[in-house]
Amino acid sequence: MIFTIFKKELKDTLRDRRTLIAMIVIPVLVFPLILGISTSVSTSFEDKQQNEVFKVALLTDDPGNEFVRELMSIPYSLGPKELEFHPLQEDASQLILTDSAQIAIAIPPNFDQDQANLISSNITVYFKETNLGAKQRAEFFAQHIESVLRNKRYDALDLNPTKLIPFTINYTNLSSTKEMLGKYVGGFIPYLFIIFGFIGCLYPAIDLFTGEKERKTLETLLTAPVPRWKILVGKMFVVVLSGISAASFAMIGLFLSLEVFEFIDNPKILEAVNSILSLKFISLLFLLLIPLTVFFAGIMIPITISAKSFKEAQSILTPVNFMIILPAMVGFIPGIELTYTTALIPIVNIVLASKELVADTLGIDLLFLTFLVMTAFAVLSVVLSHKRFGRESNIIS
Amino acid sequence: MIEVNQLSKIFELTKKQRKENNSNEKTSTAVNNISFTCQPGRVFSLLGPNGAGKTTTLRTIANILQPTSGSVKVNGFDTVIAPEQARKNIGFLTGSTGLYERLTPNEIIAYFGELYGVEKIAFETRKEYLFKLLDMHDFSNKRIGRLSTGMRQKVSIARTMIHDPQVVIFDEPTSGLDVITAENIIQLINNCRKQGKTVLFSSHIMSEVDLLCDDLAIIHKGEILFNATMDEFRNQMQSKNLTAEFIRIVQNQTKTELA
Repeated sequence: MIFTIFKKELKDTLRDRRTLIAMIVIPVLVFPLILGISTSVSTSFEDKQQNEVFKVALLTDDPGNEFVRELMSIPYSLGPKELEFHPLQEDASQLILTDSAQIAIAIPPNFDQDQANLISSNITVYFKETNLGAKQRAEFFAQHIESVLRNKRYDALDLNPTKLIPFTINYTNLSSTKEMLGKYVGGFIPYLFIIFGFIGCLYPAIDLFTGEKERKTLETLLTAPVPRWKILVGKMFVVVLSGISAASFAMIGLFLSLEVFEFIDNPKILEAVNSILSLKFISLLFLLLIPLTVFFAGIMIPITISAKSFKEAQSILTPVNFMIILPAMVGFIPGIELTYTTALIPIVNIVLASKELVADTLGIDLLFLTFLVMTAFAVLSVVLSHKRFGRESNIIS
Repeated sequence: MIEVNQLSKIFELTKKQRKENNSNEKTSTAVNNISFTCQPGRVFSLLGPNGAGKTTTLRTIANILQPTSGSVKVNGFDTVIAPEQARKNIGFLTGSTGLYERLTPNEIIAYFGELYGVEKIAFETRKEYLFKLLDMHDFSNKRIGRLSTGMRQKVSIARTMIHDPQVVIFDEPTSGLDVITAENIIQLINNCRKQGKTVLFSSHIMSEVDLLCDDLAIIHKGEILFNATMDEFRNQMQSKNLTAEFIRIVQNQTKTELA
């Protein structure tokens, strides 16, 4: 009987355009869209930064000084620039603030003399941090000239530069790319899966409970010789399946982004991501996703069965959505890790466990505890749904 | 057969409902200690003005609601002790019954056939009989959302009758329907009687009651004011027609209450 109800509800749900969009279209498209847009934006930004001609205002009373000469000798290919000369007394900040130049460099009057006497000069660079790329370009110019002039001093002093360096340090990072991904972007994956798990459950839950009440089909169904709990379970299976499907389609979207559209071209990251998307990872992620979506369904059903209209159900569930997003965002906070304490907090435990799963550092004890806690919350929410579904005032409109 | 014995149904009121009713009462009695019996092969009409308790009584018999006290037996099955068996014997049709908009009549009938546990061969025979009787073949594969009100009502009838129930309950089945569709329902009720089924029918349209009923009960404010055969009702009439007599009985009760 449960299967009969499940079959019918699934057929009905799959014919609902809204549900299909929330369950399949958006999850499949989200990763390709996010990765596609972010890749093209960052690529075009890098290109723009590299090729952008920066207006450099040089404030000096001696336009032929060594700094200017070295600056002019930097090849155009290493950073296109357009130089403008201004008297040293001119207000450099005004040049930047009025957008007459993106970088202003004030060179002291006795620069050449200081260099000849091996005295350190003070160069001031003006820029706006909000003017993206200006600081980097200024730093590049300054470091390049400083390096050239330093080498000249080494020659003048007849010094071997290597003898001036007491030691060099080699920092060796022992974290694998996989671990690094887990640490820094690992929170992103469970966040998206939680959101899609929730959104995937949302429309079927409203449609199968509030919708059925609104369309006056629930009363008919309740006259059939089927225990109410079987009706609830049959419907709940569809809600849970929709949540899991939405998360799965998001996973397919991620796979498409990497394997078909090839949005990530860093081979190290690609290799790590491919190894993350292993059968073990996917199986464990779904193991955690099942009690999570049952929990979502269990908290949505009492709301949708009490609501009198689709609109009312939607307006109540929207704040619930935020309550789900907040703990899901814990995954982005550095320093919060899966422990015996955090494993007791629903949703937070799934996010942190998934993060560890991405990094391949999830211990079996914490995995088991997370699963157990989430299952307990899922069971509680199902019991609550059953109680609410049994209330006459909820099912009779 | 339907046996309703000292049935009461009391609803608990929410704060919002109490505010709306402008009352401090925490409960509302929809049905108060009513008893009646509907016999097989006869049409029993439950008559009453709006809010009299007709729908609550029918919903309790159909096992959508639980009785607060008293009992209901459908073909010998108590609706509290053996709810599934009781429901298996009932076909329930209301004027406001909804249908699944995204499914076709074929799919809806198959779904309810499965829910009622109708065997495959029996189901096919019964479906064919109903589809032919109701002239449903032309639209059996169209989605409900694309069907007219009359077509939908036919689907509702087929859905109600697919398991060949021995007890059929009609809650204001013709309300809001056009004359032709309403006539289909009247014919169906007559057919059910001929087939020896127990028919319980609620209405406030006296012409339908006059045409169809063998027995009737008048319900007002949750209590049965009159319960007898249609002939007995006609014999005791003090008014010129059925409608006037119905109004007289209801108003007498109201006057007694006020006195």
